[in-house]
Amino acid sequence: MLSRGHETIDHTADMGIRGWGSTPAEALEEAAAAMLELMADVRGLVPSRRSTISRAGSDLTELLIEFLNGLLSDADLSGTVYLRAAVTRLEKTSDGTWALDAAIEGVPLDEVRERLRIEVKAATYCGASVREQDPGVWVARCVVDL
Amino acid sequence: MARVEVRKVHDYLWEIPKSGEMNVPGRIYADEDSIRFLLSEGKSKEWDALLQVRNVACLPGIRKASLAMADIHPGYGFPIGGVGAFDLDTGVVTIAGVGFDINCGVRTMIVGVPKEDVEARKKELADALFRIVPAGIGSTGSLKLSAKEIDEVLLRGARFVIDRGLESASDLAYVEEGGMVEGADPSCVSATAKERQFKQVGTLGSGNHYLEVQYVDTVYDEKAAEAFGLAVGTVVVSIHTGSRALGHQIGTDYQSVLRKASEKYKIPIRESELVAAPIGSPEGKRYIAAVKAGINCAFANRQAIAHLVRKAFKEVFGAEGTRVRTMYEVGHNNLKFERHVLDGVETDLLIHRKGATRAFGPMSAGLPDRYRMIGQPVLVGGTMGTSSYVLIGTEKGMEETFGSAIHGAGRRQSRKQALKEYRGERIIGDLAARGIVVRVHSKPGIAEEAPGAYKDVENVVGIMEGAGVSRRVVRLKPMVCVKG
Repeated sequence: MLSRGHETIDHTADMGIRGWGSTPAEALEEAAAAMLELMADVRGLVPSRRSTISRAGSDLTELLIEFLNGLLSDADLSGTVYLRAAVTRLEKTSDGTWALDAAIEGVPLDEVRERLRIEVKAATYCGASVREQDPGVWVARCVVDL
Repeated sequence: MARVEVRKVHDYLWEIPKSGEMNVPGRIYADEDSIRFLLSEGKSKEWDALLQVRNVACLPGIRKASLAMADIHPGYGFPIGGVGAFDLDTGVVTIAGVGFDINCGVRTMIVGVPKEDVEARKKELADALFRIVPAGIGSTGSLKLSAKEIDEVLLRGARFVIDRGLESASDLAYVEEGGMVEGADPSCVSATAKERQFKQVGTLGSGNHYLEVQYVDTVYDEKAAEAFGLAVGTVVVSIHTGSRALGHQIGTDYQSVLRKASEKYKIPIRESELVAAPIGSPEGKRYIAAVKAGINCAFANRQAIAHLVRKAFKEVFGAEGTRVRTMYEVGHNNLKFERHVLDGVETDLLIHRKGATRAFGPMSAGLPDRYRMIGQPVLVGGTMGTSSYVLIGTEKGMEETFGSAIHGAGRRQSRKQALKEYRGERIIGDLAARGIVVRVHSKPGIAEEAPGAYKDVENVVGIMEGAGVSRRVVRLKPMVCVKG
């Protein structure tokens, strides 16, 4: 297995996504990449929009779901197709919650309509987890509602 | 070994006997083949629809049975096709029983244009519908709303659209709940959810949402068909969509709220999305008030699309195309307060229907006068290019399923499997060869909706009829299909 990557997992009605990497931040980035690739064919696109996203959760799983759903609502509101999200900070804060910041790159949706694949309604807690599967291998997964 | 044991009740009904932490038994409408398929999936797949039926049966305050209609397949927490009724004092509300597409449903309208005329101009009609009804990812509607107006949509549903001068109020008698539920509270809906909806009222969406122009191919029940205004050759148009981004965001916002509520109220979480709050708790009340706002949003959306569909028919057929009247509209992802007879006693319950259609029998409250003696039309969307059905609710359905029936064929294959097996272009070509005009906003989405990825709708309808829960009234065949 490559040190980082992502894939989709079979689910009858919807779709499972799975991202892995050597840190929780990499696993979350890869899970986001899996979701964004479901939504559009992002290969070869050059980003023209940049923004940031900050999210928090009571544990890493909630942080994953908040992060993915934050990407969905921000993309919808701004009319943007996101190409990738790079986690710039992921830490456990002094009050015990988890927080992340990420830098996002995208392109205006109107410019790439022919690249759109399918609408993701939400990231769900179904099958959701973020855990260190093997030493140094973090896996983030969940089912997204299509 | 399967994770769940089932026993046969009769040819079309199976039971997961009450055991362990189950508060009620599980009951699944299925024939021998489909129960075998569900059991084998349960052995090999991570998500097991029968286990989901069992998990729902363990929720506090559930009454009678955790039910699954014949289109059952695995969902998240609740099976798709699942129905759960909860006691108002001891029961819970669960997000898994509603989902992210709140009040997704179908409106079917009868078109007063002869079938031959529609047949002759179906390409023109398909183009007009494709152009006039906004659909696909990121599409925006012609109604641009202010913050105050979106609150009005959430409070008043389809009535908001009618008050804007779009259509006459005569539609509303033929819409579930008259197109508006009481008790919606816009203050329970986040600013993000509202902002996402400003431009989306009157948009079809994507995925499995569609517009279909269909004709009645077979009549099974003359009396009911006549009451509904249907005969062989009648042309109808069906709209399948829901509450769009607003519903998705309400679900997103409340899944964390209900997750925390499950811990607070010590409701065991058996599957991570099957989180719940007591109906009477502050969290439960807020979620219910938000879902009601989502329900109204979907009513408004379908009413706005109905207006656009009429515009398209008028454009193509002139005066002849103005005769388009609503036959019925009903949702299939819903949360409803309803009164049902339980053990001989009329009881108020909170009913969850996740991918299940309300299917009230004759003489039920809330039916249009014209249908009261007959029962409620149940609109079952077939798979793209295959048959759809209009069914009717029965007294037996009122006794057994809280007046609920199927909502579609139900998926048989995962989207991943479908993508491997089917190609969008090929599917469109096959449908065209059968005379069905297809217009698609997102071609990559088509392969996932391939007819072969779904169960045989004829069989699913037959199971419900065999069980006596719903009966066939007419079968509809597609002429034009516009996909989101």
